[in-house]
Amino acid sequence: MNLINPNFISFVILALIAVGASLGVVFCKNPVRSAICLVISFCVLAVLYFTLSAEMLGITQIVVYAGAIMVLFLFVVMLLTTANQESLNPKLDWRLILASLFAVGLIAVIGFRALLPFNQTITPRAPDGYGGPQELGMALFTRFGYPFEAISLLLMVGIVGSILLAKRRVR
Amino acid sequence: MNGVPLGGYLLLGLLMFAIGVLGVVLRRSPVVIFMCIELMLNAANLTFLSFARYLPSLRSDDPAMLSRQAVSGEMMVIFVMAIAAAEVAVGLGIIMAIFRLRDKVDVDDLNVLRG
Amino acid sequence: MPNNSLVILLLLLPILGFVIEAFLGKQIVKSSGESGKRLLGAVAVLVVVGSFAAAVKLAIDLAGNDPSMRSQMVTLAPWINLAGLKVPFEFLIDPLSITMALIVTGVGALIHLYATGYMVKDKDYSRFFTYMNLFIFSMLVLVTAGNLVVMFIGWEGVGLCSYLLIGFWYSDHANAKAANKAFIVTRIGDVGFMLGIFMLFTLIIGQVGSGASDGRTLSFDNLIDTLPGVMHSHPSVAVIIALLFFLAAVGKSAQFPLYFWLPDAMAGPTPVSALIHAATMVTSGVFLLNRLYLIYEAAPIAAAVVTIIGAFTAIFAALIAFSQTDIKKVLAYSTVSQVGYMFVACGAGGFSAGIFHLATHAFFKALLFLGAGAVIHSMAHNQDMRNYGKLAKYLPITAITMFIAFLAISGIPFFAGYYSKEAIFSASVGGSFAKIGSVNFGQIAGYVAIFTAFLTAIYMARLTWLTFFGREERWRLIEPHHDSVQLAGALPECVSYSDDPNGWYKAIEPESNATEPEHTLDKDHEPHEVGASMWIPMVILAVLSVVGGYALDAGRLEAWLYPVAPSSVPKLAEVPWVTPVGIAAAVLGALVGGFYYWKGLPANEGWNMSKWNPLRIFALNQFGFNSIVSDGSSEAGKEIGAALNVGVDKGIIEGILGGLALCSTGIGDLLKKLQSGYARSYALLMLAGAVVLTVWIAVVGYRGGF
Repeated sequence: MNLINPNFISFVILALIAVGASLGVVFCKNPVRSAICLVISFCVLAVLYFTLSAEMLGITQIVVYAGAIMVLFLFVVMLLTTANQESLNPKLDWRLILASLFAVGLIAVIGFRALLPFNQTITPRAPDGYGGPQELGMALFTRFGYPFEAISLLLMVGIVGSILLAKRRVR
Repeated sequence: MNGVPLGGYLLLGLLMFAIGVLGVVLRRSPVVIFMCIELMLNAANLTFLSFARYLPSLRSDDPAMLSRQAVSGEMMVIFVMAIAAAEVAVGLGIIMAIFRLRDKVDVDDLNVLRG
Repeated sequence: MPNNSLVILLLLLPILGFVIEAFLGKQIVKSSGESGKRLLGAVAVLVVVGSFAAAVKLAIDLAGNDPSMRSQMVTLAPWINLAGLKVPFEFLIDPLSITMALIVTGVGALIHLYATGYMVKDKDYSRFFTYMNLFIFSMLVLVTAGNLVVMFIGWEGVGLCSYLLIGFWYSDHANAKAANKAFIVTRIGDVGFMLGIFMLFTLIIGQVGSGASDGRTLSFDNLIDTLPGVMHSHPSVAVIIALLFFLAAVGKSAQFPLYFWLPDAMAGPTPVSALIHAATMVTSGVFLLNRLYLIYEAAPIAAAVVTIIGAFTAIFAALIAFSQTDIKKVLAYSTVSQVGYMFVACGAGGFSAGIFHLATHAFFKALLFLGAGAVIHSMAHNQDMRNYGKLAKYLPITAITMFIAFLAISGIPFFAGYYSKEAIFSASVGGSFAKIGSVNFGQIAGYVAIFTAFLTAIYMARLTWLTFFGREERWRLIEPHHDSVQLAGALPECVSYSDDPNGWYKAIEPESNATEPEHTLDKDHEPHEVGASMWIPMVILAVLSVVGGYALDAGRLEAWLYPVAPSSVPKLAEVPWVTPVGIAAAVLGALVGGFYYWKGLPANEGWNMSKWNPLRIFALNQFGFNSIVSDGSSEAGKEIGAALNVGVDKGIIEGILGGLALCSTGIGDLLKKLQSGYARSYALLMLAGAVVLTVWIAVVGYRGGF
C-alpha cells in the first residue's frame, strides 16, 4: 500500500503522541500533570497544523493556547490546589464504563461510516497563499468583518466578566 | 501532507474529541473538566483545518472560489480560538468565586438544582 | 271584537293582576292597611271577572258559528321554529277549551271573592293573590293551549302554583313538606307527559307524509287530522302513548297510585283547596284525556286501564274517607273519588260525560270547600269534626248551602250531581268500548261506580250530620277530652314535623306565619256566621249546584263539545235499569248516613281511638299505601343512595381519579431521578443523546447513500 511513506509515518507518530497526551489529560490524578499533558497536545497540534499548510494558525495556536490559556489554567490550578485532593479521581463506577462505551461507539460508528471514503493519499495542491497571514488578514477584515467585531465584543465581555468575578468583595 | 489521507486527520480529531468527552464526564474537578473542553475544541479545530486543506479533492470549482472557501475554514479556527479564550477567562473566574465560598471545588457538590 | 284581542284579554288580565299584586302589593298593604287590602282584593277579583267576561263573549261568538266552524286557532307569537317542527304560542278556541275556561274563570272569580274575606287577617295578603292570579293564568294557558307544548307550559305552571299555594304558610315546615310532596309526585306524571309528546312526535314524523305541512305537528288542529290514521295503523304504540298521557293525568289528578299528595295538600289555605284541588287543577287530567281522545279511541286496552284505575280509585278513596276526622281531608278524598268517576267515564268512551261531571263537580266541590272554610273560620281554625255539632243553629247560610252541596254530590235527583252521574253510569255500563280481550272493563267500572255512589252518599251524610246536626254542641267540650286516647301507630302523621333540628326551615320573617284565630273557642264564645264576601259566592255556587245539572243535560253538552261523534266508539247500548238503580243508591246512602249519624258522634268514632273499629283504623292509614310508598320509597331511596355512594362514587369514580393521580405522581417520582443535580450525569445524558443522534444519522441516512 502506498500508505507506507515517510509523511504518513511521521503523521502516525505525531498522532500517537497527541492521543497519549489527551489520555494523560483525562486520567492524570494531579491537575498540574493534566495541564502539562494538555500543553503537549497543543504543541503537537500546532505541528499538525503546519503539516496542513496552515502556518499562521499553527503559530497562533502556540501563542494563544499554549502560551496564554494554559498559563491561566496553571495559575488557577496552583491557586486551587488544597490538601483535600484525593477525591477528585475518576472512580471505576458505572459512569466510567458507560461513557467509555459511548465514546468507543461514537468512534466506531463515525469511523466506519464517515471516514472510510476519505482514503486518497494524493493530497491536492493547496490554493495560492493558503495559510499565510496576507490571505487570513484580507479575509478577516473584509469578508468576516462583522464576526470580527462581534468577537472583539465578546472578548471585552469576557474581560469585564472575569474582572468582576475575581474581584474581592469590598468589606 | 502529501501521502496522508484526509481520513487520518479526521480520525485523530475524532479520537481527541472522544477522549475529551470522556474527560468531561468522568472528572470531578472543574478545572480538569475545562481542560477537556479545550481538548474537544481543539479537535474540532483540527477537523476544520483538515477539511479546508483537502477541499480541492472534494470539490471541483474554479480556483478563486476554492480559495475563498478554504479561507473560511481557517477563519472558523480563529474564531474558535478567540471564543475559547474568552470562555476560559470567565469560566476560571467562576471557579475562583466558587472556591472562595467553599474551600474545595467539586462539581458533584453543585447539586442545588436537584429535583 | 275579533278573536285575537279577546284571547289576549282572557290571558293577560290575570297576568296583569299578578304583576300588580307582586310588585305593588306589599307596599300598598304596608302603607294603607285595611283599605289597601280591600283594594288588592278588588283588583284580584276584578281581573278574574274580566277574564270570565272575555270567556263568555268568546263562547257566545263560538256558539253563533256553525258546528263545523267552531274551532279557531289564535297564534300570538312564534316560538320554536326549526325545519321539522314549528311550535308557536298558539291558543285553540273551541267548545272544550271555552267550557273549561268558563269553569276556571267563573268558579275562580267566586273563590277569589271568598278569599278576600277568608284571608283578610293574613299578613301575606298580597302574596296570596299574586299566586292565585298566576294560577288562573297558568290554568287558562293549559286549557286554551293550541299545541301540546304550550299545554305543557300551563301544566307545569299550575304545578308550580299549587306548590307555592300549598306551602303558603311556609314557616310551619309540615306545610313545606306537603308542598314538596305535591310537586314531586305530580312531577312523576309530568315525565309521562313529556315522554308522550316525544313518542307522539316521533311516531307521526316517522310515518311518511303524516307530518304537518307547515311543521306544526304537535298542534291540535293538525293532530285531529293525523291521529286517526297514525293511531289505527300502530295500535300497540297507541296504547303506550295513551298510557303515558294517562300517567300524566294520574299524577296531576291524584288517582291511584299517585293520589297521596292530595290529602297532605289540605295544609294550604281553604280557598286554595277549593280552587286548585277541587275545581280546576285536579281536573286537568280529565281535560288532557279529552283533548287526546283520538288516541284513546284507537287503543281500547289503554281505555280499559283508564276506567279500571278510575273505578278503583273511586272506591278506594271513598273507603278511606270514612275514617277521616278532619273535615278537609274528607273532602280531599272525596275529590279523589269523584275525579275517579270522571276517568271511568272517559275510559269507557263517554268523554263528554267526563266533562259534564267535571263541571258539576266544580260547582258542588268548590261549594263544599268554601263551606268547610266558613266552618273552620268560625270555629277558630279547628278542623276536627269531632269538635263540631249542631252548627246549623249558628251558621244558617253555610248549613243550607252545604246541605245543597251534599245533595248534589250524592246524586239526589234533580240536583246537579244526579245528571252528571247518570251520564257516567250510562256511558260506562252501556258502553262496549273499553275492553281487554273480551272482558268489558267499562261495565265492571260502571258497577263499581254505582256502588261507590252509595258509599259517597253515606260519608257525605256523615260529614254533614257530624258538622251541622246532631244532639249536642260538642265544641263546648273542647277543653281536655278526658277520654282521649291516641293510638301510637294509628295516625301516620303523628310524626312531629315541626321539629327542625338543623334550623333549615326557620321563617325569614318571624311574624310571617300570619293567621291568628280572632277568637278562641270555649263555652262562652259562640261561632258566628261569616261575612258577605264569603257567603255570596257560596250562595251562587249553591244555585249552580241545583240548576247546573239540568242546564247542561239532555245531550246538550255532548252536542256542544263533540258535534262529530268519535267514529270507532260503538254506540251505547240502552240500559234502562241504570237510572233507577243510581237514584236508589244515592237516596239509600243518604238515608242510611243520615240515620246513623242522626244523634251525632257515635262512641266508636270518638276521641278514644282504642274503641275504633280496626277497619276504620286501617282506612285511616290509607290501607297501608302511604307507608308503603312514602316510607318504602324514602327508605329504598336512602339505601340505593348509600350503596351508590360507596360503590360508585367512592369506589369507581374516586378510584379512577385517585388512580390517575397516582399515575402522575408515580411517573413524576420516576422522572425525578433524572434530575439529580449532578452536572456530570447531565453531561452523560447529553453524550448519550448525541451518540444516539449520530448513530441514527449514520445508519439511517446511509441507506440513502452518502
